[in-house]
Amino acid sequence: MLLSMDGEILQIIGVTLRMSFFSTTISCLIGMPLGVIMTSSSFRGKRTIRKIINTLMGLPPVVAGLIVYLLFTKYGPLGSFGMLFTVEVMVVAQCLLITPVVISLTSGVCSVNGKSLLETAKGLSFGKIKTMRLFLSQNRIALSSVMLTAFGRSIAEVGAVSIVGGNIQWKTRVMTTAIMLETNKGNFEFALALGIVLLIISFAVNILASLLTREGEE
Amino acid sequence: MIKINSLKKLYGDRTVLDIPELEISKGEHIILIGHNGSGKSTLLKILAGTEKQTEGEVLTKGQIYYLPQQSIPFNKSVKSNILYCLEGKRKDKRELCEKMLDAFNLKQLESKNAKTLSGGECQRLALARVLCKKGDIILLDEPSSAAYSKGRELINKLISDYCEKTGCTLVMTTHTGEYPKLNKLRIIELCDGKIISDTREVEDYDA
Repeated sequence: MLLSMDGEILQIIGVTLRMSFFSTTISCLIGMPLGVIMTSSSFRGKRTIRKIINTLMGLPPVVAGLIVYLLFTKYGPLGSFGMLFTVEVMVVAQCLLITPVVISLTSGVCSVNGKSLLETAKGLSFGKIKTMRLFLSQNRIALSSVMLTAFGRSIAEVGAVSIVGGNIQWKTRVMTTAIMLETNKGNFEFALALGIVLLIISFAVNILASLLTREGEE
Repeated sequence: MIKINSLKKLYGDRTVLDIPELEISKGEHIILIGHNGSGKSTLLKILAGTEKQTEGEVLTKGQIYYLPQQSIPFNKSVKSNILYCLEGKRKDKRELCEKMLDAFNLKQLESKNAKTLSGGECQRLALARVLCKKGDIILLDEPSSAAYSKGRELINKLISDYCEKTGCTLVMTTHTGEYPKLNKLRIIELCDGKIISDTREVEDYDA
């Protein structure tokens, strides 16, 4: 089944990769700068925000799915967009789950040497944007691990995407929801085939990241 | 240019800085001396605005550039480290960068990643990043502590050349007793956060 790669498997892999790529990219674009701000700036309410982010890190995926579902349901505040049961809304749900993780991990990464780096940047009168770019480029190797973690969380997520995506065949079915469905149906061969593909993708991403990291270190 | 009134800095219950009054006028060159923990670095940090005082007032006028004791080399080549600190047209930046590399004896290291430099080389690069800018007030925290004797001579010469050329106000700490040859030199000694001596050197190096 794996070798023949029937059309449905390819379609499911395509949707999974598209969803994971966009949710990881958007979460990193939002989360990394916010993570740097959490390390490099002092402002009122910072401790409270940190506590909220830490709480959101443990947000159960089904709760995130439910929140996004209620937002995008026909009579919800964003219902007019008609996005429920689309890949786009699955990306939104994943961003809600992943962004706090990215913020927290980025903040942790940047706090190593953060004080000295901030002092160096302030001493050279760098503006906020330049300081942020400096923090990101200075920690780019560690931040590639953050990106990997985000991608791993995204590709393995099942609760939120099944609520807001609906697991619709040829449309919003992703590898995890398909594995769940096929297992429930007793179609273990198909579920296992998808599981192996999921593992291969995760392995390939890991290899790619370690190659990039090594290149960066050299 | 710099005015300090009733400045106090406390870490917990411990007073690390207690300066009732200090005035530094434009173009003055201050050398801060004192043993470890006397408050030299803390005073510079407060002047640079990277640390806040517990009490008192600090007034400064003009653009400040500050070299902290632990200046972090950026994860880029030596040349890119300097270029990253410069502003303006690309051609002007490249020209100035070349001058700085030559002056700071970093030309042969220009393509090396700054993270792989030795302590002394790193310190020269950190100083080059500050002195490639034109500031009104320059704050240098132990700029030559990791350098060998010839390296210290070079650093001190570069600092004095910069001060002479720009007419900036300099506040610099040292624990080695070596400092640049400068006019309008004033040596302030700190002990346990307090100024215990403040002397103006009469020697005129132009003479």
